[in-house]
Amino acid sequence: MKIFNNRKILSIGIYLFLLTLTYNLNAQTDWVRWEGKETSYELTPTHHHDYTLDKSSFGMTLLSALRNTYYFFISDLDGDNCPFEPSCSAFFLQSIKETSIFKGSLMFADRFTRDLNFFKMTDHYSLLASRKFSDPANNYTLHSAKIKF
Amino acid sequence: MLRTKITNRLLFVILLVIVPLTTINCQLATDGNILSSQNRLRFGNYLYHEKDYLRAADEFKEYLSSESNDTIVFRLANSYFQIGRYTEAANNFKGLFFGSQLSEEARLMFYESVFFQNDYKLFRVLADEQNFGSSLYGKDIERLKYISFFLDNSKLPEENLVLKNFPDSVQSRLLNFYQQKKFPKLKSITTSVILSTLIPGAGKIYTGEVGDGITSLIATALTAYLAITNFKADHQFRGWMFSGLAAFFYAGNIYGSAASAQIYNARIQFNFDNEVRLFFEHRNYFLPKIDY
Amino acid sequence: MKIRLRVIFFLFTFVLAVKAQDRLSIQLDFANNLFNNKQFYYAITEYKRLQFFDSTKTFNYEINYRIGECYKAGAKYDDAVKFFSLAELSARTDDELFDSKTQIIRTNILRRTSDRALQLCDELEKDQRFSGKKDQINYWRGWAYIFADKWDEAAKSFTRINSNHELKKLAEQTGKAKVSVTFAKVISYILPGAGAIYTGKFLSGLMSLGWNLLSGYWTINSFVENRVFDGVVVAELVWLRFYRGAIQNAEEFAQEKNLEVSNKSLRYLQNEYKGMKP
Repeated sequence: MKIFNNRKILSIGIYLFLLTLTYNLNAQTDWVRWEGKETSYELTPTHHHDYTLDKSSFGMTLLSALRNTYYFFISDLDGDNCPFEPSCSAFFLQSIKETSIFKGSLMFADRFTRDLNFFKMTDHYSLLASRKFSDPANNYTLHSAKIKF
Repeated sequence: MLRTKITNRLLFVILLVIVPLTTINCQLATDGNILSSQNRLRFGNYLYHEKDYLRAADEFKEYLSSESNDTIVFRLANSYFQIGRYTEAANNFKGLFFGSQLSEEARLMFYESVFFQNDYKLFRVLADEQNFGSSLYGKDIERLKYISFFLDNSKLPEENLVLKNFPDSVQSRLLNFYQQKKFPKLKSITTSVILSTLIPGAGKIYTGEVGDGITSLIATALTAYLAITNFKADHQFRGWMFSGLAAFFYAGNIYGSAASAQIYNARIQFNFDNEVRLFFEHRNYFLPKIDY
Repeated sequence: MKIRLRVIFFLFTFVLAVKAQDRLSIQLDFANNLFNNKQFYYAITEYKRLQFFDSTKTFNYEINYRIGECYKAGAKYDDAVKFFSLAELSARTDDELFDSKTQIIRTNILRRTSDRALQLCDELEKDQRFSGKKDQINYWRGWAYIFADKWDEAAKSFTRINSNHELKKLAEQTGKAKVSVTFAKVISYILPGAGAIYTGKFLSGLMSLGWNLLSGYWTINSFVENRVFDGVVVAELVWLRFYRGAIQNAEEFAQEKNLEVSNKSLRYLQNEYKGMKP
């Protein structure tokens, strides 16, 4: 009987504790109206090179075609060597798209040098979920408003 | 027997009267309708205390569609405030400015709502408006106005003018922030570029990127050396190839130094903004806690 | 007379009780209607309203259970587990207790906290009150293994229900269709590109082999011609790069192939399978 009473008191205690915890927790969830959502059963696939051609201009189309050739013959075969995201080749194209071919080339030269550095200041880069360092091209355009951490 | 008959009839009459009355009382307790105004208010207050603010706001809106109650208007506005819908909060607090016992508190909360919309210029303009001012919380609003100078890029007023609004316990910390904001320790882009032009990598070392600077120096020096040795050995193709690479690394190093100085300065600003924001958030922006 | 009094008294109290209960039942029906129409946020509001006015806690179990289902339907699994736990505590019968416990298991499966789901299955199995529900426990255990990508263990769980179970066959087929990641890596150490060919990526495997042969030839040729520096540079920057790349690719392709095999089965389970799902 005593054991039963203790169990009952314990379960009431757990119930009350869960009750307070639950309402405080789910209150935050419901500060925005939400709809039903079906979760996909599928497992997330790994990241691959994006072969899409950039058709914004002739120059960009040509450059993205060259990039795809590089991906196909070299980059897809020599493993994952770049610690940065985006990779150096993607960074090069992004730089040219954001600025010009001359400035983009300078940005790429700087990126290549930083990539060679074995003793990177890793606390100067954010770490992404893919375990790569975030190093987007817009941080190096010499426009301070575009810099994002 | 007659006595029993009378007692029984009396009992019957009493029951006939009391039981329906208790039935009516029970109906009143549940108000006959769960969705009546009063029940919505009760449920809304319960949700409000449970911090389920969006649902509470819906209940209060339904209640206010048929009833009038300043406290509930305040709670409705506060519900929006708590879930970050500051525009709606501000509009609802405005409704209590005149003719309400909660006028002073509503004015303070209105200013808080505008403040947290992060449009500090607009906030300062409104803070200087006499119509919306609060006699009771005037000092708090004034303090909030000076806090806004730390949070955006506007020119800081005089040091004494800013600091006199804050308690003594935080004066030294605020003075530190004031100095950091007015005289930030930035790196010069020009200096960085000149250093890298003279010695490859020096500009990057100047901005704190020591590893990158040394790598730049080694890459430029090595490729230049290889270019010279290949030319000396009459290997023209290799000589030009390594010359091109040396030029590539050298130009990249100069550009990279400029970018590095700019990123350094942006990081200083970013860290300062975070530190200041955390400092004020931790102290609730020196605002009194108000709830009804 | 006495009988008349008693009858009147009874009728009044009965009507009183029925009227109050009626209103709460109507509210429950309204909330259930919102749930059936997939308006989960509003359904939760009405369930909470019912809970607030249900002073005798008559509907506590149903309310907590339903709110848990609403959160589960909105993919808010942490909240769903909390409310199913509350339903578990307010369960009145063993069946209600079992239902709430299995809902917690199912939510953990969807949340991909399969270890926790398996732990709960083990606890349920040890509970003597549910000794007659082993099939259901094994069923959800199988699903937990499926979501943990452990198809062989899933097949074993379904076998315990029925050796011809549909999901047992699916799990076995999926397990057999997978390739060995370790084997792919090992053969790539021996012959670069072999791992990629083993996983079906023939072009990639042949190109990898080609690069390794070419860079190997350059390296050896450089050393033979006494160009040591050139040999070292080619070996380090080209040959080693493509050799490492071949091994990395073998592992990646094997994992990708296995992922595609798993996803094919998972797609079938989500879209075509007619049985109970988490």
